[in-house]
Amino acid sequence: MMTPLVINWSHVWMVTGLGFCMVILLLVVLIFILKLLGAVVSNAVKAPKAAEPKAISAPAAQTAPASVKASADDDLAAIAMALHLYFNGVHDVEPTEIHIKRVERSGWNSKLYGMNNLHR
Amino acid sequence: MGDILEFFEQMGFMNMTLQQGIMLLLSFFLLFLAIKKQYEPLLLLPIAFGMLLTNLPGAGMYHSELWTAFLDANSPAYHSYGTIMREGGLLDILYIGVKAGVYPCLIFMGVGAMTDFGPLIANPKSLLLGAAAQLGIFLTFLAANSMGFTEAQAGSIGIIGGADGPTSIFLTSKLAPELLGPIAIAAYSYMALVPVIQPPIMRALTTKKERAIKMSQLRPVSKTEKIIFPIAITTIVALILPDAAPLIGCLMLGNLAKECGVVDRLSKTMQNELMNIVVIFLGLTVGATATASSFLDWSTIKIMVMGVVAFGCGTAGGILLAKLMNLFSKEKINPLIGSAGVSAVPMAARVSQQVGQEENPSNFLLMHAMGPNVAGVIGSAVAAGILLTMLG
Repeated sequence: MMTPLVINWSHVWMVTGLGFCMVILLLVVLIFILKLLGAVVSNAVKAPKAAEPKAISAPAAQTAPASVKASADDDLAAIAMALHLYFNGVHDVEPTEIHIKRVERSGWNSKLYGMNNLHR
Repeated sequence: MGDILEFFEQMGFMNMTLQQGIMLLLSFFLLFLAIKKQYEPLLLLPIAFGMLLTNLPGAGMYHSELWTAFLDANSPAYHSYGTIMREGGLLDILYIGVKAGVYPCLIFMGVGAMTDFGPLIANPKSLLLGAAAQLGIFLTFLAANSMGFTEAQAGSIGIIGGADGPTSIFLTSKLAPELLGPIAIAAYSYMALVPVIQPPIMRALTTKKERAIKMSQLRPVSKTEKIIFPIAITTIVALILPDAAPLIGCLMLGNLAKECGVVDRLSKTMQNELMNIVVIFLGLTVGATATASSFLDWSTIKIMVMGVVAFGCGTAGGILLAKLMNLFSKEKINPLIGSAGVSAVPMAARVSQQVGQEENPSNFLLMHAMGPNVAGVIGSAVAAGILLTMLG
């Protein structure tokens, strides 16, 4: 499978060094492009938002943020409570085993009573 | 009587060599690992069964001599797919998809359709970690040259360090098809062994304090960004490095189908039916290349050893760069996410999460690690393109 050969070390080192540098360089280029993409898209999204307050009437502008804030506070309270219950072990300790209860047979649950020859 | 004797002479048992027997036992062992231990069963099962089929004497499902002639410039069958179709067995015909580099690209399409590049878009610096983790590829290329492999073979062995099965197969089928069997099996074996290989290296290269670093939450990524991302990456990478275009193009096509939201049927087909069909064909045919004559060789053992070295160096490269970045950046990075730069998705990211939680149970690194992890997929495809350009 392997053939004896004279190794061209200068070429091998060149491929190693240049190859790795090219991988880094290409991905650095992609980093800049992704950052640029993020900036362009976020600016495009922000622009219409800046115009929003002009369209909303004064009372609506005052009430909407209050309700949003209230619901956000509720969410935060619920999350904080859940974390408190979880990390302080306050929540019920669930048994992590599943038991399948053996069901005793009777006329009410026997499969035989539910079978007939009608459906073919 | 003569007919009975002839029948016995044609039985596989009578024609089996010791090497073929060993290969059959090896395929049984791999089947056991796939079914009983569930080590990457989706891939290992077809690979092991392909290995079983190809080593059955007299079955004639795969002919390595046809493929040797296919590569021999002096042979009349040189680069003749017609000869393969005419004289080949079932696995020879399916192997054309590997030889032409079709299956790895189709698998990349499915991978793209299943991958969320959001963490990478939210934190583009992850790409640096994905790039650093490719260090293993190039160091192993160097080591393989010193061990007597040709440059093309060394490049194919080095790509194991990318921890990316389809990329390894794609590059090896172009540069060193004679090593396809051992390299594919090494690549997939080490991908399955990520949770075993990586943690000791991660612990050795980081301090307790570094492993406990908590990272701030990633910003939300808009749908527009997710749609532009695959188009931009394909265009730029293919323009800079045309040899990487098949892999990156298919990866990003799959991702675009997923993110654009208007071709759900195509996206689901790429993720499920297409992916599964190609995995069966690829696994079977890669297993089929592991014939006794090509697999039971010292070079296979060398490839296996260098595969681990490549993998370890890649892991170390990502971690060390993350540590280096911490020296210069205000916002600290948990170096454990650097190890996810080898592209075994999502296994490597899960390992970062697990090792991080051992130090600090309230630390959630998974989404941060997914950034370098998917960057590793891009990085290994780029590295394959570079090796193909330089050595092909």
